[in-house]
Order: sequence, then C-alpha cells, then structure tokens
Amino acid sequence: MFGGTVRGKTTTLRVPRDADLDAHKRWAADMRVRRAGPIGRWHEPAASDTWKERWTEQAKDKTSVLWSIDAPDAAEQAVGYIRIRFEGAPHSDKVLLDQFVIDPDRSGRGYGWDAALTLHRWIFDYMHLRMAVVDRIAADDVGRQRILEKLGHQRFGHGHHVYYRDGAYVDQYLYQMELEAWDDRWSGEREYPPLGDEKAL
Amino acid sequence: MFGPRLEGANGVALRTPTLEDHKTFVHWMLEPEATRFWGGRMFDIRDEAFAERHTKDAESQNSVTWSISFENETVGFTGLFDIDWVSRDAESGIFIGRHDLYGRGIASETIRLRTAFAWSELGLQRVHNWISIRNRGSRRANEKAGYRQMGLMKRYVFRSGQWYDDWQGEVFSPDIPAGTFVPPSTGG
Repeated sequence: MFGGTVRGKTTTLRVPRDADLDAHKRWAADMRVRRAGPIGRWHEPAASDTWKERWTEQAKDKTSVLWSIDAPDAAEQAVGYIRIRFEGAPHSDKVLLDQFVIDPDRSGRGYGWDAALTLHRWIFDYMHLRMAVVDRIAADDVGRQRILEKLGHQRFGHGHHVYYRDGAYVDQYLYQMELEAWDDRWSGEREYPPLGDEKAL
Repeated sequence: MFGPRLEGANGVALRTPTLEDHKTFVHWMLEPEATRFWGGRMFDIRDEAFAERHTKDAESQNSVTWSISFENETVGFTGLFDIDWVSRDAESGIFIGRHDLYGRGIASETIRLRTAFAWSELGLQRVHNWISIRNRGSRRANEKAGYRQMGLMKRYVFRSGQWYDDWQGEVFSPDIPAGTFVPPSTGG
C-alpha cells in the first residue's frame, strides 16, 4: 500500500509519486545510504522499468506501507522515504520500521527527526497500534539511534557481527516502543484537537 | 529452495518437502495443540494457495526449507529464511505439528542438523531466531545447538490472559569469532 498525508512540523509524509522514482534509483545506488544496512536498502539498484514494477507490487501489498517524505525547501521533491510493515498482518497490533531514509545531501536539517515523530504519531495517535519495532539498526548508526531513543524507544536486543560492509562486520541493535511510552512522552502530539462532550452539543 | 535429505540420530531426518507435506503443515497450524506459540490459526486453505506457496518456497533464492521426518513419518518442518548472502546471516524456524511427540528430542536433533548444514554447506557465519520465552522446549533445543540470548522483547504477544515476551537468540559458525554474548536467559 501507499500511505496518505501525515503532516509534521517541517516534513510531510505523502503518497509516493512517479516523479519520486528517480530519487529511489539514486538512493538505492548511493553507498552513503546503503551502508546503513537493511533500514537503508529497500531494493538493489535497478533500471527504471524494474522500479516501476516494484512500485506496482508495493501498491498491491496489504502488509506494508510506503510514504515519500516532503520538506518545504525541496520544491515538491521527496527528501526521503519511510516503509513500514504490519507484523502478523492481517490481525496486527505491531508495526516494524523496515526502511527509513533521508537523502544524504539533505541530512543535518532535522528532517529525519520530524519525519520519525510524524510517523509515530500516525502509529500511536491515529492508528492506536500497540507497538513500534525496529530490528535493523547498525551499532554505529548513531543518527537513527538518537532519533529512536529521543522518541522513547527502548533497546531490547544486541546482535553480534550481523551486517557486513566496509570489509568488516558491524553489530545490530533492536528497539521497541509501546503505546504507553508514546502517551507518557508525547501526549500533546495529536493529529486532531479533542472534540467537545457530545452531551453538551 | 528446498533442502536435501539429512540423516540424523534417533529416527530423525530432514528431507525435501512435498506438496502433501505443505497441506499437512497448514492443517496442524489450525489446531490449538500446536499453536500456543504460533500465529493466528487462520489460513487460505484452497488447493491453489497450497500449490502457490509450495512453488514459492521451492523457487526462493534466500531460504532453505525441509520437512522433518521421525521414524519415516512427517512431523513438521524447519528452515533457514531471509538469508543474507553478503552478511552470511539467516533466520531459522521450526514447527512440529505432532504434539503427541513433544519431548522426544526431535527438535534438538533437527536444529543440530540444520545448524551444521548452515555452516558446512551454505557457508553462513551466523543464524538467529525469535522464540516465545514461554516455549521452553523450543528455546532449550536451540540453546543445546549453541544459540545464546541476544535480546528479549517485552510483551510480544498476549494470549489467554498473559503477556509472552519473545527471546532472540543467535549462533555463530565455529570458524567465526563469536563476539561478546549476552548471558543465556533464565526466564520462562
């Protein structure tokens, strides 16, 4: 499936468009993105026709959701993408963050943090799911770790020698965040303002 | 892809799965005796769905699956899934549908055969898995084969009035330095 509009403060998650395909082609072939491991690699580099086929399959897949990330200074060009999967679909109460990529040429502007907060608002405030899980963070990927920990994720696992790149193995960290943690930390983050008491209307 | 026949001890063997095996597995997965620690007990049980899944498993280039045979009867399945051929890592899984045979050491021998195959035939360096911490039999069978705890996911699933945490384990090829392990769990 493709995800609809979820507005953050500086970014917006929106439906992917054909115009985003070139960016996906570029990110899949960019070693700065790929070195993050599976969270930065949805697919291997490929020709445009293959990417179109991948998007068709993604559109049909009812167990996962793909969003493009917009930012105001990017003139309608996607600055990244997020792809989540429902664990145990179709009766799922958990979301796994499969891919989370910000264009490396636009890093350091806070887009990753804002997009992650926006996604979690969709997960917990709008969908009211029970848990978000990330089981694919490289141990030296400090940027994504900081974002997850600031959101309230707890690290629950440490895999050893999991991802091979740059001629060596790197460890893996696993994170989880439950609805209660969201409510404790982000109770002011609401998609909609509260409605009045129905009896009073 | 499907795995080749591997002869084990005590009447246990891993063998290439058949379409009939696949239908049997799914019917076991619809019964409460075998699914306390498994999925939602609901499946597409049309013949064409079985055939499609069987073909998909056979054609997969990043998984190896076997049927488990005990005294020449099919009793479950096992496999190595999501194989990353660059990092030489895979996730493992096992399902024994014949609940009347639990406690006979079938899982332990299956995991021993599967793990040895991962090192000596596939050249993997690591295998990992997720097991309900309350599924003591499965967890101990994996620990006997060398799996050690690397994580514990709180409140993975709620069933029959209780939360079940999920145990994450990993095991390394004897040819690879193993790194620093989290001690084995004592829960369950």
